[in-house]
Amino acid sequence: MGGKRDLRESLSEGKETNRPNLYLSRRKFLRLTAITGLSAGILRIKKDAFAIQSIPSGSKGKWIPTSCLNCSARCGINVKVQNGRVVQIKGNRFSLVSEGQICPRGHIGLQVLYDPERIFTPLKRTEPKKGREIDPQWKTISWDQAIEEIARKLRSLRESQTPHQLLLFSGLNSRSHEDLISRFAEAYGTPNLISGEGLEDEAERAGHWMADGHFEPFVYDLDHTHYILSFGADLLESTPPVARWLRKWGKMRRERPIRTKVVDIQPRYSLTASKSDEWIPILPGTDAALAMGIAHVILKEALFDQEFVKHWTTGFEQYREIVLKEYKPETVSTLTGVSPETIYRIAREFAQTRPSLAIAGKGALAWPGGAYVSYAIHCLNALVGSIDIPGGVLYQEFPEYRGIPKTEKDEIGQKGLGQIPIDFRKSELYPAARVVTNQIPNSLIEGKPYPIKIAIGFNSNFNMTAPGSRVWEEALQKIPFYVHIAPFVSEMARFADILLPATTYLEEWGYEHSSPGAGFVEVRIKQPVLKPIGESKSIGDILFLLTERIQGTVARAFKPIGSCAEEFVRLRTSSLLPWEEFLKKGVWRGGGYEYKKYSKIFQTPSRKFEFVSGHLKILQNEKKKGIGQGRTLWPHYTKVNWLGDEKQYPIILFPYQPLLMFENGSQNYPWAQEIFLPMQGVGWASPAEMNPETAKALNLKDRDRVWIESPFGRIQTLIKISEGVPPNLVCIPFGQGHTSYGKWQKGIGCNPNEVIGIDFDRISGQAAFFNTRVKIYKA
Amino acid sequence: MPKWGMVIDLDKCVGCQACVVACKEENNVPHGSPEEQRTRREIFWHKMIAVTRGKYPHVRTELLPMPCMQCDHPPCVTVCPAKATFRREDGIIMQYYRRCIGCKYCMVACPYGARSFNYKTQEERPYHHQDEPPDRKSREPWPFPTRTQGVVEKCTFCFHRIDQGLKEGKKIGIEVVPACVEACPSQARTFGDLDDPQSPISKLLASRASFRLREELSTHPKVIYLSR
Repeated sequence: MGGKRDLRESLSEGKETNRPNLYLSRRKFLRLTAITGLSAGILRIKKDAFAIQSIPSGSKGKWIPTSCLNCSARCGINVKVQNGRVVQIKGNRFSLVSEGQICPRGHIGLQVLYDPERIFTPLKRTEPKKGREIDPQWKTISWDQAIEEIARKLRSLRESQTPHQLLLFSGLNSRSHEDLISRFAEAYGTPNLISGEGLEDEAERAGHWMADGHFEPFVYDLDHTHYILSFGADLLESTPPVARWLRKWGKMRRERPIRTKVVDIQPRYSLTASKSDEWIPILPGTDAALAMGIAHVILKEALFDQEFVKHWTTGFEQYREIVLKEYKPETVSTLTGVSPETIYRIAREFAQTRPSLAIAGKGALAWPGGAYVSYAIHCLNALVGSIDIPGGVLYQEFPEYRGIPKTEKDEIGQKGLGQIPIDFRKSELYPAARVVTNQIPNSLIEGKPYPIKIAIGFNSNFNMTAPGSRVWEEALQKIPFYVHIAPFVSEMARFADILLPATTYLEEWGYEHSSPGAGFVEVRIKQPVLKPIGESKSIGDILFLLTERIQGTVARAFKPIGSCAEEFVRLRTSSLLPWEEFLKKGVWRGGGYEYKKYSKIFQTPSRKFEFVSGHLKILQNEKKKGIGQGRTLWPHYTKVNWLGDEKQYPIILFPYQPLLMFENGSQNYPWAQEIFLPMQGVGWASPAEMNPETAKALNLKDRDRVWIESPFGRIQTLIKISEGVPPNLVCIPFGQGHTSYGKWQKGIGCNPNEVIGIDFDRISGQAAFFNTRVKIYKA
Repeated sequence: MPKWGMVIDLDKCVGCQACVVACKEENNVPHGSPEEQRTRREIFWHKMIAVTRGKYPHVRTELLPMPCMQCDHPPCVTVCPAKATFRREDGIIMQYYRRCIGCKYCMVACPYGARSFNYKTQEERPYHHQDEPPDRKSREPWPFPTRTQGVVEKCTFCFHRIDQGLKEGKKIGIEVVPACVEACPSQARTFGDLDDPQSPISKLLASRASFRLREELSTHPKVIYLSR
C-alpha cells in the first residue's frame, strides 16, 4: 500500500511541478550561463526545446471539395492545400452516400498524389520485344510527338476501313472520363470498349436483371433495415460503396433504437465475419443451395409477404413447387455444410425480423453460374417483401446531365460499330453479358473474331487484376501497337509502345455519380486541387488533344462538347446547379428517394418481380446455346465445376480483397502496405492462410515458404496458420505481387490471379475467381 | 481543469484502420518498410491489434484500435530518467524530444506498447510526401514538421488541436477532436472531458458497460472501451 501511494504521490507531484520547475530552473541556469559567458548553443537548445509546446501560426491552408477515386465508390472528399502542397484529406459532409465519411484509402490519396515513382513525361518503348521481365527501355518524348504518332496510327486504321480493330481498355476512371471514352469509341467506330466490370459485379447485376429487369448493382437501405443476411460479401472490406458500409455499420449497431443483426455467411472468417453478430461457415460455391434452403423454410412455414407476392410477382407457384421439392434443409445441409437447425433458425429470423435484407457478394457470385446465385439470393428479398421499401432493396436513380449532341456516324464508323465485339458479349457464348473482360486475352491470342491492330489502355491493369495473368501477358504481346495512359508504369503499362502520363484524381476535372450508391441521385465534382505535376495530363484532356489531331468525324464528335475536360464537365453539369456553387460545395443532390414505386419499377416483360425469368425466356427463344432448356429459367443451385483435378490439386484457392487494396492498379503506398492485413496483424505481405490441420497434413509450419501450384501456374508465398480458414482451403489476399514498378510494392507478396484459371459465368460474362484448385508444397 | 479522455465503442468499430492512417496523416508520423516491420522498428502513434481465440469454426477475433492510453498513473513518466516525458495538467502525457536521451525505459515500462523509438535516419522531410525536399513553412500549423532520430515518440491526443481549439474558444470534444476521432467512419469514438459529468463522453460511459486495458496494473488509462 505504502509503495503504491509513494508512486502515486510522486506521479501527482510530477504532474503539477514537472514542467514549470524545470523551466524555471533552466531559466535560472541560463541566466547564470549567459552572465558567465557560456556558449550560445544552450540558448538555442532552449528555444527549440519548447517549440513543441507552441503551435506555430502560419498559413491555414484551403479546403477544396473534390472526389476520391481509389475505388469505384468515388466518395466526396475535401482536400487541404497549404502553400501549394496537399496535406490532408477528409470526407465532404455534403455527400450523404457515406454521410461525409471516407475509408482509410481516402486519406492515403496523399501518397497516391505524391507517389515518388509516378511518370511525368510521355515515354516511348525502344525495346521491340515485350514481356514481364523485359525492360522496355523507355525514351522520353514530347507530348506533341506522342500525340502525333498515336493520331497517325489511328487515322490510318480508320482510313483502311477497319476502325473495329481498335481496342479500348477502361480501368477505374471518373464517370466523366468514362463518358468521354465511350464517346470516343463511338465516334471512332469500334465496339471494343472493355471495362473492368466483367471482373467485378456482372453476375450480381445479371441476377437482378433476371428477377426485376435492372442490370445494376443493388442499393440497400441500411438506415432502416433490421436484419442482414450476407452471402459471401465482405461488407466492411470490399463491398462498394465501402465508406457507406463503414458509416452505416456504426449507425446500424448503436445509433438506432433497434439494433440490426448481421449474419455473415462465407467460408472464411473475415474481418466482416468478426464484426458480425454471427458467422456461418459454408462450403465454397454452395450459396445458392443455402438461399434456396432458406426459401424452403419460408415457403413451407408460410412466412413470406403474401401481399407483395400476390400482387407484384409472377412465377411464384412454379418456384414454390421446385423449392419445396428439391431444397429441403436436410438436403441443403449436406451440400453446404450448414446444419439444418441453423437453416431453420436463420430462415425464421430473416422472415420475421422485417425489414430484412439478403445481400450477395463477390465470394458467392464470382463463380460459373454466379448469375443464378444472385437470382436465388434476390428471391429471398422478394419473399419477405423487401423490394423498394424502407429497409429493403432500393433502385439507384441517375442524374440527368445536360444532353450533348449525338456523335455523327460516317459509313466507316457505322460499319465498325456493326462488328461483333471481341469479347463476344450478347452472343451465344455470353447471352446476357454487357462486357466480358476476361474473354479478351483468348480473343487476342487466337485473333478471333478478328485481329486487333491498336489498343489504348485507360488506367487499366488487367494483367494484374484479372484471373490468368500469364495469359493476359501473352495476349498483350500480340497487340502490334499499344498505348497506355496511367500515372505510373503499371504491369499493363510495361507492354505499351507509348506510355502517356495521366494525372491522378486529385489533379483533374470530372464529375462522379453513384452507382454504387445510396438510391437517391448525387453528383460530386472532381476538380484539380493543384496543377498537374510535371507534364501529366488528365485522360479527358488527352482525348480532346487526340481527337483534334485525328481530325475528320472523330474530331467533329468532340468539337461541340468543349475543348478540354473542364469545359465538358461544366457543360454537362450545367443542368444541375450553378458552376460556382458546384465548385464550392462539391456535391449536388436530387430529391429524396421515393419508395414503393411498384407500378413502374419492374423492368421485366411482366412488369412484376419474376420468380421465373421472362428475360431469360426471351433469350432462350433467341439464342438456344447460352441458355439450356427447361429448368434454367429460375434460380437454382449447380454443382461447382472445379478447375483442376481433385486428386492432383486437393486444396481450394479462396482469394479475397482486403480493404487496403487499391483499385487503381497500384499498391505503392506505404501507409496502406504497413497495415495491409489487420486480422493477421501483418503488412507488406500476402500470406497463404491455412487451417492448422491442413498445414499439419501437408507437413507445413507457420511462415514456411511454399509454392501454390494450379494447372495454370505457380506462385510462391509464406504460410500463415489461421483458425479462421476451414480445412482444405487456402486464402490469399489480392493486391500484392506487383512486378512492374514501385519500391513499396515490387516483389512484395504474390498475386493469386497468376494461378487462377480463366472461367466464366456464362450468362453474365462475369469472371470466376474461386473455382481453382491448387496443391501446396515447400519451396 | 478538464481531464481529456477517449471512448472507443468496439460494437461500432469496423476495423477499417482509418484512425491509424489519419494519425499518420495529421502528425506526420513516419511510415515503415518491410525491413522495419520485420525488425519491429515501425513507428505508430496509433495502432490496431488483433486478438484471436478459439479453434475453427468457433474462432473469435477482436480488433483493438490503440492510441496511447494516456494513463492517469503513467509508468512511463515515473521511469524517465531525463524527465522528458511528463503529464500535462489536462492529463495528456507528452514527450519532450529535446530532453529525451533515447534510453527507451519508457518503452519497457509502457504496458500497452504505445511508444515507438525513432530509428529513422535524420531526414528533414514530411513523411507522407514520400521523397520531397523539406519545406518547413508549408507544414504549419503542424507541430511536427520534421522528426528527430534517436528519441521516443508517442500519441499526444492531438494536443495541438485541443490547444488551438481552446484558444479559439471552441468546444473540445464536439467541434474539435483528435484526428483519429474525426476520421472514424463508423463514429465509434468519442472525445471529451471525463471530469465533466455533463459531457457527451461521460454520459456515454454511464450508459454502457466499459473496460480499460490491463486495469489490474492500476495505470488508470483515459482511453476506455465499450464492450460489444
